[in-house]
Amino acid sequence: MPQPQIRCLILACGNTLRSDDGIGPWLAEWAEERFAGNAAVCVLARQQWTPDLAEDIAHCAFVLFVDCSVDSAPGSVNIVEIQPRQQAQGLATHHQGAPELLFLARELFHAGPRPAKLLTVGAGSTELGETFSEAVLDAVPKACEILETTILQFLHQQEK
Amino acid sequence: MTQTITIDPVTRLEGHGKITIQLDEQGEVADAHFHVTQVRGFEKFSEGRPFYEMPSLMARICGICPVSHLIASAKACEAIMSVRIPHTAAQLRRMLNLAQMIQSHALSFFYLSSADLLLGMESDPAARHIFGVVAAKPELGRAGIRLRRFGQHIIELLGKKRIHPGWVIPGGVTEPLEPAKRDEILAMIPQAYADIGLALGAYKQIAESFKAEIEVFANFPTNYLGLINEDESIEFTDGALRLIGPGGHVIEDGITANRFTEVIGEAVEPYSYTKFAYYKPLGYPNGSYRVGPLARLNIVSSMGTPLADVELAEFKQLALGPVQSSFHYHHARLIDILYGIEKIEQILTDPLILDKHVRAIAGVNRLEGAGQAEAPRGTLHHHYKVDENGLITWANLVIATGQNNKAMNLGVLQASKHYIKDGKFTEGILNRVEAVVRTFDPCLSCSTHALGQMPLVLTLVNSAGEQIDQLIR
Repeated sequence: MPQPQIRCLILACGNTLRSDDGIGPWLAEWAEERFAGNAAVCVLARQQWTPDLAEDIAHCAFVLFVDCSVDSAPGSVNIVEIQPRQQAQGLATHHQGAPELLFLARELFHAGPRPAKLLTVGAGSTELGETFSEAVLDAVPKACEILETTILQFLHQQEK
Repeated sequence: MTQTITIDPVTRLEGHGKITIQLDEQGEVADAHFHVTQVRGFEKFSEGRPFYEMPSLMARICGICPVSHLIASAKACEAIMSVRIPHTAAQLRRMLNLAQMIQSHALSFFYLSSADLLLGMESDPAARHIFGVVAAKPELGRAGIRLRRFGQHIIELLGKKRIHPGWVIPGGVTEPLEPAKRDEILAMIPQAYADIGLALGAYKQIAESFKAEIEVFANFPTNYLGLINEDESIEFTDGALRLIGPGGHVIEDGITANRFTEVIGEAVEPYSYTKFAYYKPLGYPNGSYRVGPLARLNIVSSMGTPLADVELAEFKQLALGPVQSSFHYHHARLIDILYGIEKIEQILTDPLILDKHVRAIAGVNRLEGAGQAEAPRGTLHHHYKVDENGLITWANLVIATGQNNKAMNLGVLQASKHYIKDGKFTEGILNRVEAVVRTFDPCLSCSTHALGQMPLVLTLVNSAGEQIDQLIR
């Protein structure tokens, strides 16, 4: 298996034209600036997570998925560990979730076990618009803090 | 009692459409239609916009083939400007268009259709998807993902974005190619050759077991249309259109963008928001034709690249004249990909490819202009009119899916009649009817596709419109 070159991959998802759905790409941009010049950190933002991202995942040591959540309370910030999982239902051909991408990375590109987390911010509105709801605006500092801490913790662990 | 079978939406397509199959009193198929249920308003809401905004606006029509819209739109704008773009800009656009064709074809073949081909039309629908392909043939799944990534990465390198790059503008492109990017693309090419070689080999083996489907998947004579070079080789970005008849004879050659509306008309049917293009001298529906990979291979004498030429020669052995079954769109799509890889390699070794002169600048010099290009799924035509200030007063787009519309409908009818007997059908049978549409890889309403999971609801209604039964998956 090739040695990972990118140690920490931040993989964000969302549509910046659908209000709070844009929080993933916004946090990705924030992380890109925060870790600018750090070759160990790679940030990718996509409107959808598609199977071709499995190869990027296979080449990193840690992956942090960032997305909005329509199932959580508006403005709530959560981070959970995730495991590879095969897609249970067969009709989503254009979009995969984080566990399914981990599964594809493992099955197709022989990616070994790696820590993976999913950071979500509960959406208040996903209507057309380029601004966040108040709940998400209030949650931005906490989301940035968790994002930064998670990446730094991982990088420190790697250095030990 | 007559019955109607409805498949709504048709799955594993770009966009949403539905199929209705009407059964007569004896339970035999009387008629069938493929309906596109979305409305496109791009022609209307572009009115009043400056013409130079059109490529960026029009690219938003589609998340899969925005590059084709960019290019056809930019060419229409250049007709308004009366400019000829620099050689290097034309070559860079050609490469971008081919990269898009490769990623779109990889999506169609590997993500949307390969599950039917590898696992079977009757296989468990819950496993009939890219994950099922990965489980059954991981090397093929990997090849598909890599080929899509190859095309997308080239688009990202050139246009800075995978979807809706703003790099193509009226007059050329915004920036020349950097040597490092050229070298990065060249370094990806050997793997791309290996992946498409694997796919072609696998497909030829698989196709042997689909002889029954080949017979009834839109297998009938039609006309074919596509861009072609003067030396009769395939073309995606420039050249002029050729229309051939069902026997392979040339009906009309040299159809340039500004002559398109002179010879191509659009009919309307009450069951679809997508129009039905036809060749005017033959009228509708006799003048209907097919576009896309199958049509492109049927109209050309050569691909113009060595490996693809070998594949084309083998492809043409499938029939004495034009290859008629739409099942063979899959095969043609893979040959398109091989050609695209070879052509990109050729373009990158053009001694002028790093030239800095990549843009012509001009204002309004004509009040009307048209442009055309080959999108992955077929010929795409943009036609604009402007006022003296360059504001759009009228726009018309003729997209590939509309040009394949009649053949798709006839194909659905042909397959339905073959498979549905005495009013009886199974999920596998309906999947075959859907798969006929999938061979064309239509981009319904040429709009961005749906997020997430697309359900299939099959409703059986009686002649009074009352629901008798419903199957949901």
